[in-house]
Amino acid sequence: MEATLTVEPLSESNWTGEDATIAQIERELARLRIASSGEDAQPNLRTSVMTHIAWVPAQWQVAAEETLAGMGERHPSRTLLLVPRPEKDDGLDALVSIRCFPVGERAVCGEVIELELRGRVAEAPASIVLPLLISDLPVFCRWRGEPPFGSSELEQMVDVVDRLIVDSQEWDDLRYDELAQVFDRAAVSDIAWRRTESWRFALAHEWPGIAHCEIEVRGTRAEATLLHGWLSARLGRPLDDIALAEADSVGVQLDGEDMPRPRPLYATPSDLLSAELDQFGRDSMYEEAVRSAAR
Amino acid sequence: MTVTEQQNPLLEGLRVRRRPDPCLLVIFGASGDLTTKKLMPALYALAVRRLLPEKFGIVGAARSEETDDEFRERMKKAVQDHARDPFNDDVWEELAAGMHYVTLDFADDKGEDDLAQTLTELDQERGTNGNRVYYFAVPPSAIATLVQEIAERRSAEGTVRLVIEKPFGHDLHSARELNSLLQQSFEENEVFRIDHYLGKETVQNMLALRFANGIFEPIWNRQFIDHVQITVAESIGIEGRAGYYEQAGAIRDIFQNHLLQLVAITAMEPPIDFTADSVRNEKLKVLKSIHTPGPKHIVRGQYGPGFVEGHEVHGYREEQGVEHSTMTETFVAAKLYVDNWRWADTPFYMRMGKRLARRETTIAIQFKRAPHPPFEDGGSELRPNVLLIHVQPNEGVSLAIGAKAPGVGMTIRNVHMDFLYGGAFREGLPDAYERLILDAMLGDPTLFTRSDEIEEQWALVDAIVALWQRDRPSFPNYPAGTWGPAASDELIHRDGRSWRRH
Repeated sequence: MEATLTVEPLSESNWTGEDATIAQIERELARLRIASSGEDAQPNLRTSVMTHIAWVPAQWQVAAEETLAGMGERHPSRTLLLVPRPEKDDGLDALVSIRCFPVGERAVCGEVIELELRGRVAEAPASIVLPLLISDLPVFCRWRGEPPFGSSELEQMVDVVDRLIVDSQEWDDLRYDELAQVFDRAAVSDIAWRRTESWRFALAHEWPGIAHCEIEVRGTRAEATLLHGWLSARLGRPLDDIALAEADSVGVQLDGEDMPRPRPLYATPSDLLSAELDQFGRDSMYEEAVRSAAR
Repeated sequence: MTVTEQQNPLLEGLRVRRRPDPCLLVIFGASGDLTTKKLMPALYALAVRRLLPEKFGIVGAARSEETDDEFRERMKKAVQDHARDPFNDDVWEELAAGMHYVTLDFADDKGEDDLAQTLTELDQERGTNGNRVYYFAVPPSAIATLVQEIAERRSAEGTVRLVIEKPFGHDLHSARELNSLLQQSFEENEVFRIDHYLGKETVQNMLALRFANGIFEPIWNRQFIDHVQITVAESIGIEGRAGYYEQAGAIRDIFQNHLLQLVAITAMEPPIDFTADSVRNEKLKVLKSIHTPGPKHIVRGQYGPGFVEGHEVHGYREEQGVEHSTMTETFVAAKLYVDNWRWADTPFYMRMGKRLARRETTIAIQFKRAPHPPFEDGGSELRPNVLLIHVQPNEGVSLAIGAKAPGVGMTIRNVHMDFLYGGAFREGLPDAYERLILDAMLGDPTLFTRSDEIEEQWALVDAIVALWQRDRPSFPNYPAGTWGPAASDELIHRDGRSWRRH
């Protein structure tokens, strides 16, 4: 298991604005950045390796903020937390903060911009996001909950981002066929898929014997379905040749014998998201698993 | 094609790091500080990341009497005290299960027989197929005997790798003797001479900086670079190692190995690939191109009493175990030239020592000044650009550039653009020993020093030490907590330059 970092922010300062404008947000960010350094001290560094967007419908807000709090120091970035509130009057509310973490004698600061997109603003997220992106750095978007495939807001965000990160375990329906249509427009990754990684290593160890084993995969719906689709695609066996069952956690039987449960690779939701943010480019194995599962 | 001949289709796409083949790691000198402070924490970090072989065992060997359980308990404490990861019982239990201890007098055949017997039994128990990595964390005087004993007991089965800590010899003659002894029974690719600086991320980042960025290499030469400054400064003293340090001094402790390797990496030509021999061939060319500095180009010093970080400290001659009239140097500054097409007439200034003002290892590439500053005040405040590689601490890179200060005039001020490792990659830098132990297990010698490199390094050091036989400086000549003797400043001031300000 990779070690979990638990560095607390050295300092955090923030600004709140109702009916804010992008210019105001940028101005306040600059002011907070300067204020985060002491008068006589060396200026803190703004270090960014990406723009990290989180699309967070209100019911996911608490979980999203907990995850972000656990990983702020790991991926110095500008984080845009977008909370769509289409039921409210039109407008944009902002909470802008600078979170500084100690690095040797200096501090490194990341920026977190929480935006409530009210009313019709929620229908035009790209117009808010584009001016706030950091130039020349990759853009990741964690979409909380089930993406509204075909909706204007999802379409806009797919065009903006380099990587769309979902967790299909959060979905009511496993709409993998619609997700697969995004693959040629943006790299996609799935935290449910990441959770199966230790099992995929364990199953790879069973090669070549596994090629002709009787296999049963069980687990939560998303994880088991993805693992099942992957095994079918990689082993070249029809889907119905591998048994699939729902359970609380992933397990695999080979020829009727339970495989030992592998040691998990990631301890917390922050570790899982962090692993996704470390990945660039398309994940062809995931795409194959999704296409196989969608058949 | 049968199923077993196919590549494993389930492995595709998984981020598989190459794992070493099964092996037993034998640590000679298992009771020493290196084992507790560096080797065992590094092995634990590798275990946490699942980078150790699946079938693996550790055998500690040292003179002191200890049972397996006592050894495990001591190593557990070492991990709890020094590892960079939180202690995890599962990981530890897995690692400790393959851990054993053998009491061994290095000159005693019986001890070696006992060790061989233990290793054979462990091969059966752990499935390690006779593969061995022997780590020599012992004084140089013990190495020859151990190498001979290992060679005599070598079986036809399995791989053998010898990891040898510095110092590798104490002069050219002794280094050649040791190389010759090793080469009688082992291939060069079985010998891993450690210079732990090469395992540091920041030193390897020098290769990334130079060869992964198109903007630096075209200006990485005498046309654009005024000079290079390399500083390896320690604020600590000799930490109770008088026996070793009195024999070594700064020239053998730091200059012969770490410092010359930093010069080689800074000055080398781009290798055609990143294989061990390509990289080491290019480093060797640099070492061969360094000519021996004349007496005016080398300064030695020894610290007297002073204050370091607010604490009063003894002078070197008052340290426990040190002779009162010792002439051992604790500081060296030098101006070297790398005589080749790229670097002709470009000085490499270097200084290293103990009880200096602060701990810092840096490589500063100072570029030539802008040829004609067109600003009203003549750009008198304008300083040359410096690319500064922080090897430790605050690992990273910074570039000093001139920028216009806000206001109506055209005042230029120097500012730093910083890349801090800890700021951009928050995974925690692995310790150099993690990388080097893993590479030795994998049989990859890229980051280890080859026999001909070692001999070139000693040839230069021997020439410098020979120069020193002719004079007897007045020691001590710098107070602890400063940047060395006045002669070190004079060395660089004579050229119209100065050491970097800190």
